[in-house]
Amino acid sequence: MINLNLNYKLVKEFIVRFIKEEIQSNGFKKGVIGLSGGIDSALTAYLTVDALGNKNTKAILMPYKTSSPESVEDAKLVVKNLKIPYELVDITPIVEPYFNKNQNMDKLRKGNFLARIRMGILFDKAKEFEALVVGTSNKSELMLGYGTWHGDMAASIYPIGDLYKTQIFELARYMNIPEKIIGKKPSADLWPGQTDEEELGARYAELDSVLSLYIDQRKTKEEILKLGYSKQLVDNVLHRIYITQFKRTFPPVAKFSPRTVGIDFLYPHDFKR
Amino acid sequence: MKIKIALAQINPLLGDLDKNREKHIEWIEKAIESKADLIVFPELSLTGYSLKDLSMEVAMKYEDEFLAPIYALGKKIDIALGFVEIGEDKNIYNSALFIENGEAKNVYRKIYLPTHGMFQELRFMGRGNKIDTFKTKIGRVSTVICRDLFHPSLLFLSYMQGTDFVLAMSNMPLRGVAGEIPGIEKLVESSLYTYSNFFAEFIVFVNRVGFEDGLGFYGGSMVSSPFGEKIAFAGILDEKLTIAEIDTEEIYRRRQSFPLLREEDINIIKNNLDRIVRGKND
Repeated sequence: MINLNLNYKLVKEFIVRFIKEEIQSNGFKKGVIGLSGGIDSALTAYLTVDALGNKNTKAILMPYKTSSPESVEDAKLVVKNLKIPYELVDITPIVEPYFNKNQNMDKLRKGNFLARIRMGILFDKAKEFEALVVGTSNKSELMLGYGTWHGDMAASIYPIGDLYKTQIFELARYMNIPEKIIGKKPSADLWPGQTDEEELGARYAELDSVLSLYIDQRKTKEEILKLGYSKQLVDNVLHRIYITQFKRTFPPVAKFSPRTVGIDFLYPHDFKR
Repeated sequence: MKIKIALAQINPLLGDLDKNREKHIEWIEKAIESKADLIVFPELSLTGYSLKDLSMEVAMKYEDEFLAPIYALGKKIDIALGFVEIGEDKNIYNSALFIENGEAKNVYRKIYLPTHGMFQELRFMGRGNKIDTFKTKIGRVSTVICRDLFHPSLLFLSYMQGTDFVLAMSNMPLRGVAGEIPGIEKLVESSLYTYSNFFAEFIVFVNRVGFEDGLGFYGGSMVSSPFGEKIAFAGILDEKLTIAEIDTEEIYRRRQSFPLLREEDINIIKNNLDRIVRGKND
């Protein structure tokens, strides 16, 4: 495993300033976060409170009937510790009619559907609260494409999007997030018993090492294999990166005019007039 | 001669010329109150950095009426600021304007525009091709802009023209967050110490702070002396006006005690460069 340790004091200061400035430069003062009870959204909430204050940070808890009760408890613990306003929206009665009409949905389809319904609620609540949606995706997820496109990946900013999961744990420890949240197995909690590492087929320490070697250090596949990582692991990571590239790019537009969205209409994001 | 230089480590608003001009005026007035002889702003201080297609919309000629209030203040203090320049050739450039006695003294066009990774500069702006020096009240000055600083050849060329002060106006994003000090800060400082030490000159590095489209500029504005020492520092990440107190005699002392400039022979450089350009090598 490679050393992914960071100067967490600096990283925290940098991300807090990022949140504050990106929210403000887009004309807002507040942020909403879909708080699942997991470490990513907990960490994002802690950082957002540091940036915007507890009155300007709102948590939305959106459990489904199969969500682990522990998830809601842990989300409430974050709410309590941070003294932030929150709303609990049980999505069961929203999604059940659709699931009942589509009996053939497998767990992946259902999981994606849950994530997209939560996205719909989160953006609606953001509008109501006059806030932006603060995203909770991390670099491991974004690179492996382990998230629902237009679901949990939908957000206005990604404060922790350049931190690998193993770095998320360390920053969470640095910020004194309850050990109960840091210590549990990472899970999207889209179906009972789901865990990230089982689904991804490797531990985060291994996944992050290969990701960092390939992405940040630009090592070739052969060089990574020579370092002793298994072929199965490396193939798994690289395959996931490439089949999910569509989630990280603007969709192709059929171009024929002089200036086309996504191709050569190139204004910065943070520009207002 | 004892002088004061104000380092304006600001956070410009992307594409908002009016607000940025206001900020320039406010900071220039503060520098005048501090009795500074010169105030140095970062690269593209009037426009922000990540302009892309906005570049054309914020571009202006250096004599544009929009700058009149800044020129007016330039009667009380010398000013170096960054802007997008419309050249006589109707190209646009990433330029630095030096104002002395209320008039344009020099316009420097960035020569090395990074276009790789997160940088896309050459896609939107033209490149300059001239590194010169100009005489001011505080001594002979050269300007470099951001990436130019990492090309020793430019610093050498200004040195050979007798520069006392190099103004390094920058928009360097933070990267390298594993260690105690950010990797980019270490890289910049090592270059400043090396150049200022061997060229026996002051380097005034002014870098912006703030975020644009995810890039976070680190600040860390500072002055490095002819002895290769940090004599003023603005700290990182926050806006700050720093007044550096400078004794220009240090340049003289350094060039006498360590007379590298006296030893230089421009013809050796020229002959070797000619040979290299011709491609004659064994």
